[in-house]
This record gives sequence, C-alpha cells and structure tokens, in this order.
Amino acid sequence: MVNLTIDGKQITTSKTSTIYEAAKENDIYIPVLCYAKKLLPYGACRVCLVEVEQMKGRLIPSCTTPVTEGMVVTTMSDEIKKVRKTVLEFLLVNHVVDCPVCDKGGECDLQDLTYEYEVVTSRFEGEKFDLPKDEANPFIERNMNRCVLCGKCVRVCDEVVGYGSYSFINRGFETKIATAFDRGLDCEFCGQCVSMCPVGALLPRPFKFKARPWQLKEVNSVCGYCGNGCTVTLGVKDNEVQTIRFNDETGVNDGNLCIRGRFGYSYVNSNKRLTKPLVRRDGVLKEASWDEAIQTAVQGFKDAGEQVGIISGARLTNEELFLVKNLSKALGTENLDHSGGECYKGVTEGLLETLGVRASTATFPLVEKANAILAIRSDFYETHPVFGMVVNQAIRRNEAKLSIIADKFGKLSKLPNARTLLHKPGLELNVLNALCHVIVEEGLAKTEGLNGLDELKAALKEYSAETVAELVGGDADAIKQTARELAGAENAAIMLAYGLPYTAYSKELAIAAANLALLTGIAGRQGSGLYLCGEKANSQGAIDLAILPGGKGMGAQQMLAAAGSGELKALYLVGEDPLVSYPNRSLVEKALEKSFLVVQDIFLSPSAQMADVVFPAASFAEKAGTFTNAERRIQQLHVGIKSPGEAKTDFAILQLLLKELGTSAPATPAEAFKSLAAETPGYEMVSLDMVGPQGYVWGGDNLEPELKQLVPVAGAQPLADKYQLLVGSALYHSGTLSTHAKGPNAAVAAPYIELGREDAAELQLVNDDMLKLKTVEGEIQAKVKVDRRLPKGVFFTPYHFAELELNKIYSGQPAIAVEPVKV
Amino acid sequence: MFKEFAKGLSITLKHLLPGNCTTVQYPKQKLEMSPRFRGLHRLVPTQHREKCVACYLCPTVCPAKCITVESAENEKGEKYPKVYEIDLLRCIFCGYCVEACPVEAIEMTDAYELANFKREDFNFDKERLLKS
Ligand code: SF4
Ligand code: SF4
Ligand code: SF4
Ligand code: SF4
Ligand code: SF4
Ligand code: FES
Repeated sequence: MVNLTIDGKQITTSKTSTIYEAAKENDIYIPVLCYAKKLLPYGACRVCLVEVEQMKGRLIPSCTTPVTEGMVVTTMSDEIKKVRKTVLEFLLVNHVVDCPVCDKGGECDLQDLTYEYEVVTSRFEGEKFDLPKDEANPFIERNMNRCVLCGKCVRVCDEVVGYGSYSFINRGFETKIATAFDRGLDCEFCGQCVSMCPVGALLPRPFKFKARPWQLKEVNSVCGYCGNGCTVTLGVKDNEVQTIRFNDETGVNDGNLCIRGRFGYSYVNSNKRLTKPLVRRDGVLKEASWDEAIQTAVQGFKDAGEQVGIISGARLTNEELFLVKNLSKALGTENLDHSGGECYKGVTEGLLETLGVRASTATFPLVEKANAILAIRSDFYETHPVFGMVVNQAIRRNEAKLSIIADKFGKLSKLPNARTLLHKPGLELNVLNALCHVIVEEGLAKTEGLNGLDELKAALKEYSAETVAELVGGDADAIKQTARELAGAENAAIMLAYGLPYTAYSKELAIAAANLALLTGIAGRQGSGLYLCGEKANSQGAIDLAILPGGKGMGAQQMLAAAGSGELKALYLVGEDPLVSYPNRSLVEKALEKSFLVVQDIFLSPSAQMADVVFPAASFAEKAGTFTNAERRIQQLHVGIKSPGEAKTDFAILQLLLKELGTSAPATPAEAFKSLAAETPGYEMVSLDMVGPQGYVWGGDNLEPELKQLVPVAGAQPLADKYQLLVGSALYHSGTLSTHAKGPNAAVAAPYIELGREDAAELQLVNDDMLKLKTVEGEIQAKVKVDRRLPKGVFFTPYHFAELELNKIYSGQPAIAVEPVKV
Repeated sequence: MFKEFAKGLSITLKHLLPGNCTTVQYPKQKLEMSPRFRGLHRLVPTQHREKCVACYLCPTVCPAKCITVESAENEKGEKYPKVYEIDLLRCIFCGYCVEACPVEAIEMTDAYELANFKREDFNFDKERLLKS
C-alpha cells in the first residue's frame, strides 16, 4: 500500500496503481482519451496530464505514472488547463469535425472534452484529413479522418482479442491506423475495437445513422448464444433492438463480446419470426388462436398417455426449464432431455463419477491468473470466444503456457507460445491419457486423497507419451512438456467445451479430463479449475435443473428412436431443431413424421414445419429470467422489447399448458425462481436479489469436488480412411439460431467444407468449388474453403446450416470417413 | 394646465388625420415582419436535397417535443432525414431548433397565417417544410 495526496485528499492505494487509477478510485476526475481500464497503460494522448509536487517543472501523464509514497498530486490548475486545451487544439487541427453526421456524436470523448475545455477557436492551421473511408464492411465502418491515434483499437485487438488486425503506419502527420497492406478488414468481427474507439473512427456499420445514443434505452441482459454468458446491453428504440451497447461494468465479460453477441442480434427483429400459433388442419399448418393451439396440443399429449417425450433446448431460462420439468411431471412422463442428450448427459455423468460434481470447478476470471492452460479441442475458441480472450490475456499478462489438444489448428494455436498437441481425428482421449501417464511416471502427481490410483496406473501403462505420440501422429516431447507444466503450475486450467457437434466420447472425455485435473491437483485447488463449457446459453442451467431422463425415462436419442418405431406417440420440442442439428437425420425424420409433434420456436424451423402444433415463442431479448453460464454464474435477463404479434415467452406458453392440464404454475419467473432454487442442489441459498449486476456464482469461486475418484478410460483407435470429415462449430455462428441473424450471415452465410492446401492441390480444388462428400449413409455437398489449419486428409464442416443436411452422414461419430468428389 | 391638456389632445387629433393611423387593416393590409420574427419553419433546400443532415439536434432541443426526425442513408451513403415532421399545434415558436441546427438547415419564415380546418393539416412534413 502507498499513501499519497491528490488535490489535498489523503489516499491509500495499492502500489501497482497509477495516479489516474488512484484518483478514479476516489472519485477524483481526470480526463482521459487513450486510457482504457482493460488495456495496458500507453500514454498517447496527454490529456491526462497532472502536476506532481516532487516532479516540478513538467506535467506528468497520470495514466502511465505509478503512484509513489508521499506523492502530492494536483489535477487542475491554470497551467494544466492550458496544456490540455492545447492538446485538444492540436487534435482538432486535422480532425474533420463532422459531428452532425457522425454516429459517435453525443458519446464522443473528443466532443465532450472540446466542450469541457471550451475549445472554440484554434491557434493552429492545418489541412483536414482526407483519407478513404471503409463503409462497405458489413460490421465495422472505418473513417480514419476522425481518428485521434489513441491506439486503443490496436491494443485491444492485440492484447485482448489476440488477432492483431491493426497497426500504426507511416510517420509524423501521415501517421494512421491501418490493416495489413491497408486493405479491407477481414477478422473475427468481434467489434472490440469499435467499443474501444473514443471517437467516431470505428463505428458499428449495422447501426449507421439509426439513432443518437441518447435516444436509446439501455437494457442489460445476457447473450442468448453460448455458455460464456456475456452481458449484452441492448440499445432499444421503437420496440427494436437497434444495436448492442458497450458495457464493461456489468457481468463477467469486461465489455468483451464476440461477433455473435455484438452483431448477431438482428434475428430478434426479423420479419420471419413466428407471430401466431399454427395448427395442422387437413395436412397443412394454419394459423390458429392460442386457445385452439393449446387445446390441440394437450389433447394430443393426453391421447398419447404416458408415451410422451419432451426435448428441450438449452437456451431457455432456468425458470422456463423448471416449468418444462413440471410439465413432464404433469404429463406423467420421465422422457425428458435437453439438447442432444448423449453429449450433455455423457459429460455430466463422467464428471459425476470422478469428481462428484456436474459443473466447472472454477470461474472465468481466475484463468487470467493461470500459469498453465490446457484446452481440449481447438474449437474451444469457436464455441466460447470470449473465454478464449481471457486465455489470451493470461498468456500476455501472465506468460501462461497454453497447450491445445487438437485435431486441427485454430485461433488458440496462433496465440503466443501456444503448443498444439496435434492428433489424428478422434484421439483426444489417448493424448489425455498420455498426459496422465507422464505425470504419474515422473512422480509429479498429487496423489493425496485420490481413489483408484493403482487401477489408473495399470490402465495407463499402454499410454506412454511415445506410444501415444506415434499412434496419434504427435510429438512425445511436447506431450511431456505440457504434462510437466500442468503439474508444476501454481494455478492451472483445463478447459473442455461440449455441444451438439461433439457428441463422440463425451463421457470418456469428461472422465479423462477429470483424471488429469485430479492428478495435477487442479480440481478443487484455489485459483485452478476444470472448466466444462456447454455450447448454449443455459446448458449449465439445464444440467443443474436436471432436464435429463428420470428413472425409467428415455434420453433424446432413445426418444427419437422410440418415436420412429411408434412406441412413443407424442413429442414436444421446446426451442430445439433436431432435424437440422441432431445426429442421424433419418432417425429424426422418422420420429418427427410418425409422432404427434408439438414444436415451440421463434422461427418456422425445418422441425417445426413437420409439427402438428407450433407455438410462437420469444427471444432472449423479450424475456425475464435467469441463465446459468458455464462457470455456474447465475445472471438475470431483462425484458428489452415486446414480442412480435401474438408470440409469447416460453414461460407463458408453459403456464398455459400446465393450466390446461389442470395443474398450477408459478405466476411469474421470480416466483418460479424461488421454487426452483429450493429444489436445485447448489441453488438452495440463492435468492434473486443476490443475483446482482455481476451475477451470482453458485458453489463459490472454487467448487470443491465431492469425490476424488480416478477412473481408467480406454483410448480410441484412429480411422484408417484416407479422407476424414470433422464436424464442429464455426466462430461466427452458434447453434442454428445465428443463421437467422444478419451479422453472422454477413461473415459466413452458407455451409462450406474446409480442407488443407495439400488436399486442395491433390484434388484440384480452389475456393468456392463445389465438393461432394460421399459416405455409405449418403452424401453432402458444399463450397470449398481452402485453409492452412487442417492436416492432410482431414476436412472440416460446421454444423449450423440447415441446407447442408449434414446429419445425413453424421451420426455422432468422432470423424466421418468420406470420399471426396469434385462436382 | 390647459396648455398641457391641449398639447396632449393635439397629438391624439394628429393621429386621427388620414395617414397617421397605427391600426393595420388586416387582412386587407399586411405588416412587414421583422427579420427576426419566428413564424412557420422552413427546411432549407440545396440543389439536390434538403440541407438537413438529420443530426437530431432540433428534436432533442425542442421543448415542445414536436419535431420528428428519422435519419437514413441515401444512395450516396449520406445521412439524410427520411422523415422530418413538425406538429405545429404543439410548436411554441421558441426558435430553439433554428439555434441548435449546426448546418443552418432550418429557418423560421415570416408566415404567421397558420390557421387551418383539420388537425392533420397542422402536421408539416418534409415536402411542405421545404416549400414553405
Ligand atoms: S469523432 Fe467526435 S468530434 Fe469527431 S466528428 Fe465524430 S462526434 Fe465529432
Ligand atoms: S473486430 Fe475484433 S478482431 Fe476485428 S479488428 Fe476489431 S478487435 Fe480486431
Ligand atoms: S481508430 Fe479509434 S481507437 Fe483506433 S487509434 Fe483511432 S481513435 Fe483510437
Ligand atoms: S456468443 Fe458467447 S462469447 Fe459471444 S458474446 Fe454471446 S455469450 Fe459471449
Ligand atoms: S438540427 Fe438541423 S440538421 Fe439537425 S436535424 Fe434539425 S434541421 Fe436537420
Ligand atoms: S489518457 Fe493518459 S496519455 Fe492518454
């Protein structure tokens, strides 16, 4: 701790603070332009100059100067004012000042400072910038004529995002911010640079000329896409979400978002949304009243007796999931499951067997302090981009050592000093076993209190780093180093993402990851953690509330099989589109065709088109409730806009169904939360007022494992086929929902098949050629994307797009043997 | 005392003489308005479009909240008011909009004969304001 005086006020602050930070903590105002809370100090603008008694004779930039004992600081004097004013005058010399047509007007730092310091005339003359503008990019509008060269965009894209789109080019008056070769922007389009820019040089293109900032109502809610659970602040006007506003005060994401959160909101305003209930009459779906739709659905369920199955999505709120559960009770069925079933169930079962918990054992911010990080699957960044940014920050700030167990290279592999443990498709387990083997062999294991060590040791015999490296086509030394780093690190993290395209070996992977977490002591140690990150916004909530088959009940896959064979008479799909996103299309198709089908969704999805009754539901922007993110953080959603037409929230629809069935339902989401908290393990002590702006992490920052049971898992064998297809997520999309949003579609609008350069050359394919992939089950075709991240013989395709009909050949296998044919 | 009385009365009588009357015979006769008179608004046109760039300052400053602006992007990528409307029944003719406009796109004319028969006729849209 350091003592100093600022403007006559005695202040005690931490010795790592800068003068600016110390002042800010104590509500003393110092203007800044190039400073940002989440970036390293830079000192580019000199707006924050102050006087320090001990450093008389010159003014000191407060944002870069660390505090020292006994410092006496003055933040305002005639001289300071004069100098700050001069700085602004200099900035305005070349600035275009087109505030009337600049969308930053009203929240522009330069504008505000100019007003504050009454810069009405300029003593200097100079030419106004006349640089080309980029207004063609669908995400980010760049007008460098308004740039003040604060470097925030350069820094955020490097320090936080780890992409490095921008840098300063040229010198002197010619200095400007440019992309590589000064071309158009081609990046992740996360928009972090837009939110950092203090002026109107970088602006969100979709929001161009839409409104002034002061006209927008800001509503804090939680992103409805992935399990990262970022806070999104909706900018609402005219009952439409106009844009997503920057907010680094609320939530866990520090104001960082990915393309989906920042630019993927437009689907809520889409005119293709369902606005009326539909009921099938004479074979055609026709608009109907709510009464009729509810009655038809309930009659259908009643006719099916106990032969009803419920499959829910994982983007429902906890309160809605609670009602789904109540509904299953009211219908007297135990056939209840969510998103994909197998995968989610497997992961949780695996964790339960080994650690006795069903969730991540630590929180995201802890990873910033980690020394060693292991990501299982390269797609981790694609499924949870903002968590990936935390990893990047750990590497840059903390020199964390990152290893990735991956079947292909990806964003994570590009981060500084990242080590990619590349393996042939489907062999993650072998590599994990090899890591455990090294730790055990070299005596690095923290064996205290572990059960089943001997069995594990015996089973690990065949998984020496060398053997595994040879089998998976990797490097034994790399495996050993990673193992040593993980075992030796003070704080370490193991991250595993799961989701619909990653169903293979899900239970085994969870066990193998847990074994490693136990041997390294990561599970349960303060500051370290094993992270299991669900693909959807409320995947964790669905697990916590046990939206899983009960006693004799069937899981999603079994339900679909049973429905196909006529055993199950009725199916209720809540916010789920299995026809597109579940493995094994023919099975799903048959099930949906044969059963009495009720679908609840916001779009007329391919599954909904086959339904007998369709309920129009509400998007995340239209409802209140809570999501639980992948680190167990319960966070509140708030209503931003009204639902279109007669669409209702899932909560309201489920209430209607429950009432029609003659059971009572909680009147409001708040009431539902009370009831669900009472009966959900971990939630017992949580009340809604505890779920503040930062949410509430149930189980605390470090969740103590209930068990420490090592369980041997067998590795897999690689496929022998020459060409293998991997299925996964693309960065720009999440589930099937994002394919209805303009933003993600502007980046990637159609399915593609990605392959490496060698394969492309061999098959004589170039970008945008049509490629057909044949298997015994069927074939798919899509445009080719040639890239450098895939090893030879490995193809990749994202699963989000309905038109690809990927599940014709995908039935949950780790890799699909394919035969490529150029069309 | 009589003298003062006569003096005063003479002024009065003088004004009764033809040509000295201050009453304006409206509507036969109309006054010339001072240049700073605040009458009906006018949107200033330029060659191709309105001068207004839809900056939203006038609807923001307007104390009667009677100006509606909706901005949009035209073919050239410029910002322009897709909608510009003034509800004259609510306008209090304070002239703040004119003062706020950064590009001198809105003025107040000397037109004060604003009576009308229908409510809708008091709604001045962009086309009308450009012609006024
Ligand atoms: S960046 Fe700020 S000062 Fe510059 S034109 Fe835009 S609003 Fe005005
Ligand atoms: S959008 Fe994101 S990745 Fe692209 S330049 Fe900006 S910060 Fe970098
Ligand atoms: S573009 Fe914006 S953030 Fe980047 S240097 Fe210029 S003013 Fe700063
Ligand atoms: S999609 Fe996930 S990472 Fe992206 S903003 Fe939403 S919650 Fe955050
Ligand atoms: S202030 Fe001027 S430029 Fe701005 S909206 Fe009003 S008339 Fe148009
Ligand atoms: S804010 Fe300190 S130099 Fe820019």
